Amino acid sequence: MTTTSISRRSAVKSGVAATLAAARALSPALFVGCSLGIPPRARKVTVGMLHSQTGPLAISATSLRDIELFSFEKINAAGGLLGCQIDALAPDPRSRTDLFEKRSRQVLDAGAVAVFGCWTSLSRKAVLPLFEERDNLLFYSVQYEGNESSKNVVYGGLVPNQQVLPTIDWLTGAGGGMKKKIFLLGSDYVFPRTANFIAKKYLALKGLKPAGEAYYPLGHADFGPAVKTILASGADCVLNTVNGDSNLGLFAALHAAKIDPAKVPVVSTSIAEDELRSLLPEQVTGHYAASCYYQSLPSENNRRWVADFRNEFGSDRVTGDPMEPDYCLVQLWKQAVERAGSFETEAVRQAFRDGLTFDGPGGQVRLDPKTQHTTKYFRLGKIRADRQFDIVHESESPIDPDPYPQIAFPGWSCDWTKNGVTRGAEVDINGNV
Amino acid sequence: MNMDFSWLYEIPTRNLALLSIAVFVGFYWLGAIFLRPILRQFVKHTAGSNDIVGYVLSCFCVFYGLLLGLIAVTAYQNVADAGSNVTREAAALSALYEDVSRYPDPYGQNLRWLLRDYTRYVIKYAWPLQQKGIVPEEGTIRAEAFHDRLLDFQPTTPAEEILHAEAMRQLNHFLECRRMRLFSVRSALPASMWYVMILGAVLNLAICWLFDMRFLTQLVLGGILAAYLGTMIFLIVDMNQPFRGDVSVSSEAFETLYRRMNED
Repeated sequence: MTTTSISRRSAVKSGVAATLAAARALSPALFVGCSLGIPPRARKVTVGMLHSQTGPLAISATSLRDIELFSFEKINAAGGLLGCQIDALAPDPRSRTDLFEKRSRQVLDAGAVAVFGCWTSLSRKAVLPLFEERDNLLFYSVQYEGNESSKNVVYGGLVPNQQVLPTIDWLTGAGGGMKKKIFLLGSDYVFPRTANFIAKKYLALKGLKPAGEAYYPLGHADFGPAVKTILASGADCVLNTVNGDSNLGLFAALHAAKIDPAKVPVVSTSIAEDELRSLLPEQVTGHYAASCYYQSLPSENNRRWVADFRNEFGSDRVTGDPMEPDYCLVQLWKQAVERAGSFETEAVRQAFRDGLTFDGPGGQVRLDPKTQHTTKYFRLGKIRADRQFDIVHESESPIDPDPYPQIAFPGWSCDWTKNGVTRGAEVDINGNV
Repeated sequence: MNMDFSWLYEIPTRNLALLSIAVFVGFYWLGAIFLRPILRQFVKHTAGSNDIVGYVLSCFCVFYGLLLGLIAVTAYQNVADAGSNVTREAAALSALYEDVSRYPDPYGQNLRWLLRDYTRYVIKYAWPLQQKGIVPEEGTIRAEAFHDRLLDFQPTTPAEEILHAEAMRQLNHFLECRRMRLFSVRSALPASMWYVMILGAVLNLAICWLFDMRFLTQLVLGGILAAYLGTMIFLIVDMNQPFRGDVSVSSEAFETLYRRMNED
């Protein structure tokens, strides 16, 4: 038998040929796009969320985090924004004003192109200098006192001319029972004090004076003495600007004092469906809240939005103000970024100038380029036993924002399409112009 | 110090297996072509050289096989332990959810929401981070939020006191399991083990180059050995980090729990 020996040279040749053939055959699987089949990394853009997830404000602020995550997840699922996936960074300011600035710095250092957050005006004012120094954008969705305008903030919540003043109109009108003695009760910080300052000016225009005025620290729980003061003042209604967990103590004290909502209704500016879940229905039913949105709004757009949110977060979750304004702000930011084709602050701000609108669950909102505030419907809701609201009054059309109502801040105005803020006489919110 | 093999986990598993085999076989074949003639010089004139090389190789393979086997078992054990931790964490979370469901509202409702929020975060945000070898931090905030809210509750009846004590016990167990999960995210074989393993594989193949046999036979037999070594190394790489690769812990336990929470 003859054996054919294979020479080293021919074996090497065959080996090389076989290797090349194998490499060619395997390469589509192994080296897809020269990447070993590694899927291309999605480009990312960081967005900050500054919401207290622990502490007394967590009860309200956590839902804003959820609605923002919900919005970002939807944007990401639809392919992202300008081809980038949104990476949300949400450190916890723990309801402490001193931590807001620190956490803002943290998210801005991480490269956040926009930040959604803050709850109290104290927290917003604490971070504002940092946003102005770094020229970043803060999207603030909570109702606030006005008397402020920064080109680095987009304000999505109600200002007093969209909330406090229409509330007074309603209370002193036929709908509210022609009330004459309004007691102004608030937490002791800038929003309640400024809102009530504006309220007093407005009441004076109507020839009225408040029945009384009282402030308590944030987190205050014992409102027994406050209720005694209200009763002693002979007030026929209360305009309540108490914020956070303090409302638990307030309504418990009102209930204990057997205050009848039909005779002395309390109209709250900072209570929505989310806060109602911590309040006992028997203590709050029949009282009112002033807002721009309620979950019970009958529109199809709202029903769909609520169903989507509940489908994602649980069927017993609720939506309310400021969740809806917050959702609208995310959508307005998205529109602005798409219009600008960039995440850069100045480009996005320029896109605001074009006038952006969004059909939100609570109706159409328009971002006013002059003030960087949004137009809002005013709605007054009566609290039901099922922790929802019956809408008893609604403005005919969205109300334009006026951060500087002339009755309280004469000479002040704002137009970011021109000169920015025009300053009037210095105003002391304790009443001295 | 752990070696950073992060990029390996981005390769789809099938491709990673093929790549590992191709690297080992390619290395062996290239060595057979370029290094074998040099190495062969050491045993060329030794009578019965194949017997000697075979004896050395079998001794070496015993030690190396033991090493690979033990490492593979250790890596698998790491994955299994991490899996057990995850199951225990989900079970503790489920028990806690049941406990707080008995709390009076509004505490009960708030606590349930917070636990659902935590579970959702673990599935949607923590798991993808863990799969990249990153320890997810924001879950701590959610766990703290729940802890704070639970501590707010003041029992008013003996039944509530018992329930609250049990919930606190479950909470501590849950936090312990959670911490264990976070610790295991970065657990991996130490760098020294990888050095010994790779050196062993190279020496194993180098000994094979010393055999005196037909070149084609050398390529085929050595190639088979190299392919299997490549497969073993792939397996260990895949199991190296408990939350990465195909052989890893899944979020199934949390997903099942979240579905059940949402059905309630």
